[in-house]
Amino acid sequence: MPIVIQPYRTDHESAVAEFNLRLRAGGEDENMVFYRSSEPRWLPRRSDSSIYNEFFVAVDTSSDKRAIRGGYALKTQEFLFPDGQVRAIGYYHHPLSEGLVNRAHAMVGTLLLRDAMQRSPLLYCLGMGGYDRPLPQMLIRLGWTHFPVPFYFRAINASRFLRNMETLRSSPARKLLMDLAAFSGIGWAGAKVLDGYSGLREPSSSAAECTTVAAFDRKTQDLWDRAKERCSFTAVRDYEAMRILFAESEAHLSRIVVKRAGKMIGWAVVGERRRDAKYGEMRVGSVVDCFALAGEFLAVARCATHALIEQGFDLILTNQSHQQWGEAFRKAGYLTGPSNFIFAGSKQLAEMLNPFESIRGRMHFTRADGDGLPKNY
Amino acid sequence: MPATAFEQVRAIASDVFGVPASKLSTGSSPETVENWDSMQHLNLVLAIEEKFGLQLDPEEIEQMKTIGAVATLVDKKLQSAPR
Repeated sequence: MPIVIQPYRTDHESAVAEFNLRLRAGGEDENMVFYRSSEPRWLPRRSDSSIYNEFFVAVDTSSDKRAIRGGYALKTQEFLFPDGQVRAIGYYHHPLSEGLVNRAHAMVGTLLLRDAMQRSPLLYCLGMGGYDRPLPQMLIRLGWTHFPVPFYFRAINASRFLRNMETLRSSPARKLLMDLAAFSGIGWAGAKVLDGYSGLREPSSSAAECTTVAAFDRKTQDLWDRAKERCSFTAVRDYEAMRILFAESEAHLSRIVVKRAGKMIGWAVVGERRRDAKYGEMRVGSVVDCFALAGEFLAVARCATHALIEQGFDLILTNQSHQQWGEAFRKAGYLTGPSNFIFAGSKQLAEMLNPFESIRGRMHFTRADGDGLPKNY
Repeated sequence: MPATAFEQVRAIASDVFGVPASKLSTGSSPETVENWDSMQHLNLVLAIEEKFGLQLDPEEIEQMKTIGAVATLVDKKLQSAPR
């Protein structure tokens, strides 16, 4: 039994470092490294925590040095299911296999995934970078249920957006037109027209008060209790979960509380995305997460957007699976684009979400549920 | 005469990897079969499970390093399966 998958321990760390070096030497991207520390810095498992991360490694027991051939992370978190029950499920993320650079280890990817499915049969993946990547292809082959979580964006600085947006500059003619539009101010005017049009469609939510807070308080519990019924399937977003996921120590995130007539009607978490070549020189903000009472989604979408505009971002992105959140962001001036942020659920998980097509529009998944927290969302 | 486990496994591998069966031997492995990568390894596992009605556990998947090893594993599993 040469390959054994086991919890990542301190005594594996030097072998993981060598594994990472082999990936680099094999031509893998410098970001494709497994965790250097066996203790998760984000969401380490504690006796009283309902949300925690664990790491597992594939140990090659046939090698003298017990080489590491791969690893994955498993986040465990409570979710509200369509039947009203709360269950802990697994999120499979950051799998890495030496099979990427050495086909002698081609079986490691399958072993990692099967191991995670055994440990946590109610398993999901989110993000993954698009359907053309190996992981979503494996999940589809295994019969997982999947869909792209809709992507929304709003250009704040239209001229910078038009000059920088690599994904839209797919042909020389389009590139030239976008440069001309940016240079002449046509782009800015176009964005203003869009803003005006969106404003016309929005019902007034002027009475909503947006406040940035250092930490969420216990009122998020009441909001969760009152608003959770709007979601068919969602990570529990009660006070305890907010305290863990968006801890005050995560200073790069902004927590926004939205009130009307002094009562909390929703909240949002926003932050700056890591620099990415496809966005050029733009500063890109993200609406990481949001939650609201029925009928108040637009007010929260607008507060989140306003906070990011105030912080000087050129472009704002968000992913929202819930149809009503999607509508709220569209009304707040966002456009939709192709999504590479994919949800996939194991067969056992999908069985508990049946009939999937009827519950899908009320599933609430955002970038906070993906592999991006706490830094890359 | 029924096909041997090796012949059946070779036929499945030929389909999965898109190479002629005649080019696959007991010693064929990810290092010698061009299309045998992580994705195709999973496809091979699933195809074997489907064809023979087997459930392979991680230790068995790990043994599938050559076509010959896969055939030996299938043979062993079929012989130990309840009739």
